[in-house]
Formats: sequence, C-alpha cells, structure tokens
Amino acid sequence: MSERVWGPVHGDIVDLLADHPTDVPAVVDHLTKLQDMLVRLPPLLDSCPLADFNKLYLTITTSVLDGLYADRFVDPVFLSRLDVEFAARYFDALRLWTDSSPSTPKAWSCLFERMRGPDARPLPSAAAGVNAHINFDLPFALVTTFDHLESEPVDGSDQHRDYLEINKIFADKIPGLRRGYLERWQLLIDMLNGEIDDWYQGELIGYTRDVAWRNAQRIWRCRHDPHRHELERKRLDETAAALGRLLLSPLGAFLQ
Amino acid sequence: MTRLRAMASDVGSTPLVGRADLVAAVRATLLDDVAPGSTAAVFLTGESGVGKTRLLRELGQRLGDAGALVLTGSCLDIGDASPLHPLRQALRRLDADLAPAAAASVRALLAVFAEDATGPDGAGALLERVSRGLSVIAGGRPVVLVLDDLQWVDRTTRQLLLYLLAGLGDLQLSVLAAVRSESLQGAHPLRRVLTELRRLRSVQVLDLAPLDRAAAEQLAAAVVGRPLVAEAVEQLCQRSGGNPFVIEELSRDLRDGRDGLSDTLREVFLARVDALPQPAHRVVHAVAAGVEPVEHWLLAQVVGLPEQDLLDAVRATVSHRLVSGSHDGYRLRHRLVAEVLENELLPAERAVLHRRYAEALTSAPGELHQARLAHHWRLAGEPERALPAAVAAAEEAERLYGYAEAHRHWSVAVELAEGLPGADRAALLGHAAEAAHHCGEYARALALLEELAGTDTDHPVCELHIRRARYLAAAGRSALAEAEYQHALDAADCTPRQRATAAAHLAELLLQLGRYAEAGQRAREALTLAEQADDATTEVVLASMALGFSEAYRQDPDAGLAVLRRALATAERAGRPEDVALAYLHLAELLTGPLNILEEGVVVARRGAERVAELGLGRSYETRLLAIATNGLFRVGQWAEAEKVVAAALRHRPSGTDAVELLLARCRLSVGYGDVQAADRDLDAVATMLAGGGARHVIPLLTLRAGLAMWQGRHEVARHAVQRGLTETRSDDLVILAVLVWHGLRAEAEAKASRTVAVDDKAVRRLRQIADRVAAKSERAARPVRDVVDGYLALCAAEVSRLDVADPELWGRAAAEWDHRNHPYPAAYSRLRQAEALLARRRRTATAGKLLRQAYQMAQGLGAVPLTDEIRTLAGRARVVLEDRGPLGATAPAPAGGEELAALTAREREVLAAVAEGLTNREIGQRLFISERTIGVHVSHIFDKLQVRTRVQASAIFLRSRA
Repeated sequence: MSERVWGPVHGDIVDLLADHPTDVPAVVDHLTKLQDMLVRLPPLLDSCPLADFNKLYLTITTSVLDGLYADRFVDPVFLSRLDVEFAARYFDALRLWTDSSPSTPKAWSCLFERMRGPDARPLPSAAAGVNAHINFDLPFALVTTFDHLESEPVDGSDQHRDYLEINKIFADKIPGLRRGYLERWQLLIDMLNGEIDDWYQGELIGYTRDVAWRNAQRIWRCRHDPHRHELERKRLDETAAALGRLLLSPLGAFLQ
Repeated sequence: MTRLRAMASDVGSTPLVGRADLVAAVRATLLDDVAPGSTAAVFLTGESGVGKTRLLRELGQRLGDAGALVLTGSCLDIGDASPLHPLRQALRRLDADLAPAAAASVRALLAVFAEDATGPDGAGALLERVSRGLSVIAGGRPVVLVLDDLQWVDRTTRQLLLYLLAGLGDLQLSVLAAVRSESLQGAHPLRRVLTELRRLRSVQVLDLAPLDRAAAEQLAAAVVGRPLVAEAVEQLCQRSGGNPFVIEELSRDLRDGRDGLSDTLREVFLARVDALPQPAHRVVHAVAAGVEPVEHWLLAQVVGLPEQDLLDAVRATVSHRLVSGSHDGYRLRHRLVAEVLENELLPAERAVLHRRYAEALTSAPGELHQARLAHHWRLAGEPERALPAAVAAAEEAERLYGYAEAHRHWSVAVELAEGLPGADRAALLGHAAEAAHHCGEYARALALLEELAGTDTDHPVCELHIRRARYLAAAGRSALAEAEYQHALDAADCTPRQRATAAAHLAELLLQLGRYAEAGQRAREALTLAEQADDATTEVVLASMALGFSEAYRQDPDAGLAVLRRALATAERAGRPEDVALAYLHLAELLTGPLNILEEGVVVARRGAERVAELGLGRSYETRLLAIATNGLFRVGQWAEAEKVVAAALRHRPSGTDAVELLLARCRLSVGYGDVQAADRDLDAVATMLAGGGARHVIPLLTLRAGLAMWQGRHEVARHAVQRGLTETRSDDLVILAVLVWHGLRAEAEAKASRTVAVDDKAVRRLRQIADRVAAKSERAARPVRDVVDGYLALCAAEVSRLDVADPELWGRAAAEWDHRNHPYPAAYSRLRQAEALLARRRRTATAGKLLRQAYQMAQGLGAVPLTDEIRTLAGRARVVLEDRGPLGATAPAPAGGEELAALTAREREVLAAVAEGLTNREIGQRLFISERTIGVHVSHIFDKLQVRTRVQASAIFLRSRA
C-alpha cells in the first residue's frame, strides 16, 4: 500500500535508506547524498523544507566529524556512537515515512507533511527539524549509546562535557546559516526585535539540549520497563510535535 | 481439549499470503546456504499484527521438516523475569514432544540451569555448558533457534545468542527471531545490536512490510470465502493499512455480516468482548491477568468454574478470537485485547485474580515459579507473601549470572519490605546494590548504597566507603573513587585487611590514571599493610602489580620485575588459586607489554597457563595467559607456535572479552598469512560479539580489517576502517593512534602505488596532522609507550615519503627501530620498502639486493605469504636472486603464456605484461628499475617477435595467451 512518497527520487532515497551507517564519516556521507536528492524533490525543489533541515544537520555533523579528527572531545567513542545513533533516528523516521507507516513519529511527520507544499520559510523548517531531532530523538539516542557502552548519563562526566561541547557547534553554525537566509523583510524584524531572534535560535537549542539530557536520565531509569518506557516515548513525541507544529505555523514564519 | 485444539489451530488455517518469496529466502539463508559448522541468523522486524509469529511458525515447521532440530521459545514482557527463560521454555517444549530416550539429553541440559555455580568464570562456563548441551541434543543435525518477541529478551539470552552466532559454541546454529519494530523505536538495546549485525554476511534483518493491495485482497477473499467487490477491498486496505492481522479480523466481521460497525481493531475487540457470555468474560479477564501462556489447570483453578462450563467459556473466547490456545496454554490473541480489558475490571477484582493465581501456583512449582509468585502476590496486594518469592527469584537469577534480572527482583524486594516489620531492609539494599553494580547500573548501585547508609546507621563506615569506591571506579568516575578510598583509609573502624584492600585498589586506580609515581608510593604502602594483615595475599598481588608496572613506566624495569616475581612466590605459598593466576597474568603482561621482553614473557605466560590449569582455572585464566603468549609469539615472529597456542586456548570455548581477544589474536595471524577466508571469519565473529558491547576492542578489529584489505588491494576499505578508528580513539591512546595512522598512510601509499585507487589528499593531510600530535604527546609519555610509538611513527614518516618519492633512509630507520624491538614482521616490511626505494633511485642496487634477501628470509620464516609475494615480485622486477642456491629460473615463476610468447625473453615478457596493463614506457621503467629508453628497445623487440605494430595488438596477444 505504499505510494511513492518521494516522487522522482523515491528509488534513490529507498536505496540510500537501505544502508545503515555505523560510523560518523558514513553518516556525513549519507546526509550529503540525501541533500542532493532532497533538492530534486518536486514541487518545492531547492526550497524543500526538509532539505533546509538536512542542510543544517549536515553542516553540524560535518563539524562534529572535524572535531573528532581534531581532538576536540574527551571521549570520542561516546560521541561517535551518539552521533551515529542520533542520525539513525532521523533515518528511521525517513524510512517509516517512506513506508507511509502510522508509526512515523509525530514530531517528524509534521515537518515531512510540508514537503508537498506550501512553501515554508527555511528557518522555521530547519528549526522544526532541529526540534524533532533534539527534543524527541536525542534522549533515546543518548540512552541507547550509554547502554551500549555500559556507561550511564551522569552529570559532570566526560561524556556530559562532550555533549555540552556540541552546543557550541550549534551556536557556531546557526548564526552563519541564518545570515544565509537573510531577506529584506527579515532585516526589519531583526532590527525591531533585537536579540530575540538570536535567543530564539541560540538559546532554544542550548535549552532543549539540556532538556534532552534530563529526559535521557528519565528514560534511563525506566528503560527496562517497556510500559513506562512507551509512555515516556509518547509523551516526548506529543510535546515535540506540538512545538514543531507551532514552529511551522504562521507564528514560526513570523519569527523569521 | 481435543476440540479446543482443533479450534485453536483454526487460527493458523488462514493461508499465508504474500510471503512466499520471503519464506523461500529465509529457508535458504538459515539452512541450505549455511556451511557445515557455520552460523546464520534472520531477524524479522515489523509492526505488531504484520504476521511475524505466523511466519515463525511456518518457517519453523519447514526447517524442521527439512531435518533441522527446531527449538521454539518466546520472550516475556514481565520485565527481566528470569535469565535464559526463552531457551528454557524451548527445551521444555522439546522435552514434551520427544520420546523419553531422546528426552534424556534435554533434561540433562535443563538440569544445568538448576545447578549451583562454580568457578570464577561461571557466566562463561554456563554458556559453554549450554552450547555443549545443545550440541548433544542436536546429534549432528543443524539447530534452529526460533525466538518470538525478541524485544523482551533478557540480557543473558542476548549474550548466549551472540556467543553462539560468533561460532564460539562450535555448533551449526541458525537463529530466527522476530522483533516488534515499535519497540525498537525507543531506546531498546537491540537497536544497536541489530545495526552492527546487519553488516555481517551471515545475518539478515528483514523488515516485514504490510501487504500490498493484491495480497490484501487475496487474504480477505480467503477469510470471507468469496472474492470481494472492489469497493470493499478498497475500504479494507484503507482501514487496515495492509496489516494482515487487521485484514483478517475485519474480513471476519465482513463475513459474519458485522461490516460497518467497527472501524478500528480496537472497536472490533470491544464489540467482541461485549458479546461474550458472562463465564467467558471471567475467562478472558483471568487470562489477561496471568503470565502467558496460562496453563489449562491453572486457569481452571483461577476461574473456578465447573469443568464443562469452563470448557464452554473458553470455547466462546476462542471463537470470538480474543484468546488463542495451544498445547502449552492460553494467550490473548492481541495486545489490544489487554488494553480493551484494562478499564473493565475494578482494582479489587484484579487483586482477587492475582491472589488466586498466587495461591494456585504456590502448590505447583513450574516455569518461572518464583518470579511469577512474586508478581502475583505483589499485585494481589500482599507484600509479606511476595517478599520471599522476590528474594528467591533474585537468588535464582544470580545463580545463572543474570544480574540485571536479579537487580530487578532485589529492587522489588526492597520496595516490598518497606513498612514490613520483620524484613531486613538493609540486607536487601545491600544485595540490590551489589546486583546493580554487577549489571552496570552504577548510579543505581550508588543510590542504593546511600539508602543503605541511611537505613542502617550502624553499618560499618569503612566497608561502605570501599564499596562506594568500587562502584565509582567501575563507573569510570576516578576522582570520586580516589576520594572514597582515601576516606576508607581514614575511617576509624577500618581493619588492617580493609586498609590493605583500599590502598592496593587505590594504587591500581592511580596506575590506570597514569600517575605512576603516586601509584608506586601507594602500592608500597599497600604492600606493607598487606604484610601486616592476615590472609591478604590478594592485596599483595594487586599492590605488586601496581608497583611493578609503575616502576616499569618509571624506567626501573628490574625493580618492577622483582616485585612481581616475589608476589608470585607469595601467592604460591598462600595457595589460593586465583591469586596465583593473577600473579602469573600480571607478570606475563608486564614482560610482554611495557618491558618488551617477549621471549621471557611468552615462557612465563605458558608456564602460568599450565600451572593454573593444574589449579582448576583452565577456562578463565589459562585462556587469558595463552592469549598473552599468542600475541608475544606473533610479535617475535614464531607464528606457527602462536597458531598452536591460540588453537589450544580456543578449545576452552571462552566467552566475552577473552573470546574476543583470542579471535583477534588468531585473526592477526591469518592476516599475516594472507588467509583471507579465515581472517574474514574471525572478523565477523568478533563483530558479532562486539554487537553486544565492548568499545575497547573495536579499534583492533578495524586495524585488522584495514591490514587485510590492503593485502587484497582494497585500499578504500582500509581507508574507511582507519577513518572510523580515528573518530573513535581517545587522544591519549597514543599507541592505538600511532598504529591507525600508520595503517592509514600505508593505505594511501599503496593506493598510489596500485594506481587503481586515487590518493585522498585530505585524508593524508589529516593523518599527518594526527601523527604530529601523537609525536608531540609521546614526548611526555612514559618510556615504554614512547618506544612503541616511535616505531610506528618511523613507519609513518617512511610511508609519507612513499607518497612523494620514497626515501630509503626513512625506511632504513624504520627497519632499525623494529629490529631493535625484536619484531621481525614490520622489520621485514620496512626492508622491502627500503629496497624498493633504493631501486627506484637506481642506486646501490647491491644493498637493495641484500635487503630483499634479508626481508625474504624473514618473511619466509614467518610464513607471511602476502609479504613474501611482494618481495618476490619486486625481486623479479629488479632481477634480484633471493635464494643463494639455484639459478634465477628456479625461484622465478614458470614462464607464463602459450606458444605465441615463446619467442620472448623473461624480461620482454615482464615488459609486455606492463604494456598490457596500459602503462607508459616511463611508468614501466619506474616499475622495473630500468631507463625509459631501455624499455623502448624492449618494446620494439617485442613488436618484431610478435609481428605487431601497436601496443594494443601486443596486449591482445598477451591477454589471449593468459586466458
């Protein structure tokens, strides 16, 4: 019962998603290929809202990879695993969407639905993707990573420090990307709102990433209890979806 | 019951639609394509209702018909109920099906689970005994383990699966398991396991898609008994989303004329529950409250209906398709049924059901006895009766090394004990903390310990500090652990033995942190304390190890060695086997590790292995000592001997880390020998084991993968393995980084030489940067570390020169480094490259010849086939005679080619081969170390003799002659 949700690039995307990257260089490679496909997706092509997010995510993941090579993190094993596991959630969501599965996380489907149009503003689209990925995917990715490494989410640990280091990468990358999106009317809003826009992009991520860490600790405590774990998952999905819809609403466009 | 069975099997009478290709493919993967002695696995993932269980049953039957021994079990969702439950369940089912004679071996294996543990490596020994038991039962047939609801698998079963799939059980085994994909969406540990396993050739993860329209129509028609109109099919497809379970249930409603009433599955079930007669209501609620499968006798006792009424009631639930029955008991047909029922009972009614279960089970011990008792008594609201069952369940889990399950049961016990006057809550907290520590729940272990300290204010302070430190150290929180050991030493109630323990562990911790001076000082204190205390041999051994290594790192190898030798003597005198084993282990590690006294290290390791085998510690410590011996023998170049030792060690069927280390050691030999198949097999086995965790072995795995790929000419594979390794290595792991960087640079240099793969300049730049960083950091490292790193950095520098113009001097330096360290393999490799560099510059060809002969002898001595081949090829090109006796023709490969090439000289044939590769004269000259002009002369002679005018024509003749 599957329809070709990816139109002319359906086959390419299905093939790409059939592979599951297991290291950070492979994740970057995957995101790069995906970017090429998304901008060929009608009707929006270059202004595909998912491509806006994917581009941002690619930039950030590339910075993480550079950071790994450049000795930026204390515990690269942790950070690599986290990065791979984190990306796997995004690819999973895409896979479920490809199958038109009702299990596609709501946090993601509110963005995926916009691919058919109408044209959305790039910044809110990217922000909605960041929201789904951080508020919903990240806590689970953290728990899986800690579980696999036989470690735990402990405040003040090496892993926690590395995790916070990622915030800096987000902070570095987002203003740059934002400038790329500048439009005439946006300049006006920037002038009117002063710091709000920066707060909106910078603080939001810092804040939600902290929330994600706390949520990971919550999930960690109930990870052996399938019932509670599922409740936690639904709760996070609902919250992230609500925020995502807000970002994609006219209010989100207004913020840009 | 027979009528019921007939009805129950009606469930399976619906045809299996749209899965024919899948069934055939899985059968081939799991049975037909599996080489004898190998393993395979298929994991079916899919949403609930997509037909996983149905497929498992179908496939299990076919595999059984084809001659496999099929074991079928399912995992339970009452948490980590009991370790190895699905396997035990599968064996019991098999037992019930077999003739008594054949059942004896099954019972023998089941008895293993009831026995008390022995030995320090109990968990590994248990895996070994299980796989042996399975092997006996199989009697030479392939075994297929079919597991349903794998998302609920316990940790011990997970480990067993990976152990068996890695081939360590020495059993031809296939695993067929179903996983509910919804469960994988969260933070399920299987997610990572499946991601890693997916990459292996022997494993398939198949995502079951919903049925397409045609298949949905076919299924619906089969259920309804006639073809459906297009409109109905359309509606069915929309409502069901292609989910076969939903299609079937909706079609049934359609058949029975209830169409239109129920839009969703939930409504279907609600309507059916409402339609049930009263006694059947009681049955379905009872099944929902039970732990599935609920046996008939148990249901009878819980429901309390007269026999015939009960049978009628059960029939009604089955015919309404809310409950399904099989020979081992009843289950709800779908989880949705449980959800529908959930709000229908009052809490008091539910408590009564649980009490009845508990009462009925009390008198009849069976599967999961204690866990089920605890579960039901707790939910019946009777903590004082649940408590002893929870404790018994925890103890049973610990006996099977299922610490995760034990932790869960202990935690329940702690909760239950709250407010119970007679319960020793402090003791329960202590047990819970220890179990949490063992299963890696360090934060939880610490929290429980805090609670213990708060509950039992008289608890000895020093003991608490030591335990806290132990948990913290295990969690990698070294600074806090250090402080706790210090508190323990300062505690007023510290006994001399405890003081020695704390000091020795503190010394070990400092050693791991690289604070060698402090470690040595602490170790000395610990030794003094241990000598004063009674029965502190373990502490003597530990402290001596810390002292020995810290001295070695601080450049006093003799003092370090002396300390450890003395510790060995002390351990032998005291006579506790584990102490003796540990002393041997540390001594061998010190010699083969930082001191690089390889021959002696190997002797000590082998002597130690014999000794600990005498002491009854063969499985655990002998294996580890033999792994050290194998790696030592590999480095000194006694590969044949190393091969024997590793085979002997693997005979113990080790598990976990020990197994991984031995497989890596064997793989290292296979890579050296150029045995691609054997190396691949071991790499896959290691990857299988590591899918369950164990980040520290990933890097050696990647290094070997890179090494193997380079011998195969797959330089981009090597590059990728190195890249992954670099992103996953801590910057203070200097040796590991140095090895990786060398592999990376070598891959680029080989890529350049091969001309088949382009050099990745960005990668080269990065590798050089990392090499510089390693060099800078190693200045501050301890001498033994610096020595090893220098060896690899010399190789790195030389490989870098190969990317431009190979520098013979750099290669000479690398050869000298490795000669000095007494490692012939890299030394021979360096000589080969040095000779190549000299020849390329057409300088000192006599020296090059000498180097090649040396390299050849070394490589031959090792048995290093790919290296020898490269040396031979180079020698052939440079016309160097490798062996003293005999003419050139004796060592050079026999002239290849047919009649047409007969007129060519050996040299002309070499030139022609290069022409056929498409090389220019200049390139051929570089390869054969002669001038471009000479090549031109050779080429014109070739043209004359072959009577051709172009290179293409000449190449064609050459290729034809080789076909």
